[in-house]
Amino acid sequence: MTNKFVTMPASGLETEVLPARGRVVKSKWARDLLTFLMVVGPGLIVMVADNDAGAVSTYSQAGAQYGTHLLWIVLLLLPVTYFIQEMVVRLGIATGQGHAAMIYQRFGKWWGLFSLIDLELVNFLTLVTEFAAIDLALNKMGVDPRFGVPLVAAGLMFIVLSGSYRRWERTVVCLCLLDLAWFAIAFAVRPPLGQIVRHSLAPSMPAGGLTPDLMFLVIAVVGTTIAPWQLFFQQSCIADKRLRFADVKWARLDTFLGACITITVAGCMMLAGNASRVHGFTFTDPAQMAVNIGSFTGGFFKYAILLMMINAAVLGTTAISLSSSWAYGEVRGWPHSLQLPVRKAPGFYAVYLACVAAAAGLVLIPRAPLQLIILGVQVLAGVMLPSAIIFLQLLLNDKELLGEYANKPWNNLVNWTIIIVLFALSLILAAQVAAPNLFPKVS
Amino acid sequence: MATTTMNPIERNEAANHFLVVHPLDDIPERKVDTESLGPMPMTRSVKLSLLSLRAYLILMMLLVFYHVLGMAGLFGIQ
Repeated sequence: MTNKFVTMPASGLETEVLPARGRVVKSKWARDLLTFLMVVGPGLIVMVADNDAGAVSTYSQAGAQYGTHLLWIVLLLLPVTYFIQEMVVRLGIATGQGHAAMIYQRFGKWWGLFSLIDLELVNFLTLVTEFAAIDLALNKMGVDPRFGVPLVAAGLMFIVLSGSYRRWERTVVCLCLLDLAWFAIAFAVRPPLGQIVRHSLAPSMPAGGLTPDLMFLVIAVVGTTIAPWQLFFQQSCIADKRLRFADVKWARLDTFLGACITITVAGCMMLAGNASRVHGFTFTDPAQMAVNIGSFTGGFFKYAILLMMINAAVLGTTAISLSSSWAYGEVRGWPHSLQLPVRKAPGFYAVYLACVAAAAGLVLIPRAPLQLIILGVQVLAGVMLPSAIIFLQLLLNDKELLGEYANKPWNNLVNWTIIIVLFALSLILAAQVAAPNLFPKVS
Repeated sequence: MATTTMNPIERNEAANHFLVVHPLDDIPERKVDTESLGPMPMTRSVKLSLLSLRAYLILMMLLVFYHVLGMAGLFGIQ
């Protein structure tokens, strides 16, 4: 790291400004390792939190219905999700501001409000699905959700109220590392290694061919891997953590590491679904899948999957709620940092607490329209994702804004290809959900 | 303008020591001054992108509207 010099106004003397705290190491590799460990966080969290309750449901359903035939799609999404989030890294470090603030400033009030309202709405509905999954998992574990859901909600509120970004980050990184338990679950129920490798590396079509149901699930897999809130979350997180220009390469590595973990864990979830299919079970939901798997592997794996479901929902909830709080605070001009205590950023924390409390409360209402909400999330996410990525792409080509950190031509070629594909998939998904009669059913 | 300098021994010792500072402990960096930039210049590609986005959003809203009307029993579908 290079030391900073400032010119003293009175004397004109240039003097070295020393940071408040630092650690001295004696080798370059130790410097690099320590720097990486200090920077790691936003990329890892955004990627692993993306494997939320909805993702657990989608990937395990994909495995339960189509075996290992869709593993290649998940692997294909690794570079896609990395490219998108890498752009967010550059934008966040160069501007030191969140995504909502940038859209508002560069595209005007109308687009800024549209993005904010759409984000808040989709995020809230997604939070409801997270707590619905927690409710489901707790039920299967024999825990009364009327006790368990508020307890989880209280825990989620507690981890952000410390007034320390670092404390929140360390807690959440630990939860992210818990996700590695999926490897153990997948190892226990794995099909032959050759089958996994073959279906990961070479596209294959499941029996029955390309049906509307398969298309729907493929789009759901894509949509669950690349979620709009990720753009807002990671950029705001980077801004809150005050990552520096010198941290760009470590932030990229952080993001890449997170992408690798999330994609391989997604594959593990598919293998879990595949295992229940192989043993003759029909998929209904991931909690029931956990019970089914437990019947042939033992109770340990049943509870492991249920706990991983809750962990996924917790990670998703904290990340999504924070993306809402940060975005709202950025647009309203409120103080919005995890480094601030509650009394200095009351609006920021109030939005977070309100999101968590409202979503948890809605799930506990008897006969709440959860299925309608889940459907609504799919459609709204289909609306949100392409528009969020368009803004991201335009901002990354804004040389006036980013200078040397703007996109190179090859970045644009890759990104526009991703955007066009995502647009098409979002349109197909929305059409399938909103107007299913437009698509022929296979008898 | 004067600057502080080190003697060769200090420089050699300093070369083998690296100070690593957490971003939150470091002095805040000067970032791009986004507020002074104002709105993005509406070049042809930006206009085309935003126009495509508007068209996409209108189409999505029409699809949702079609679905709502379908649920209401119009078009003979449920």
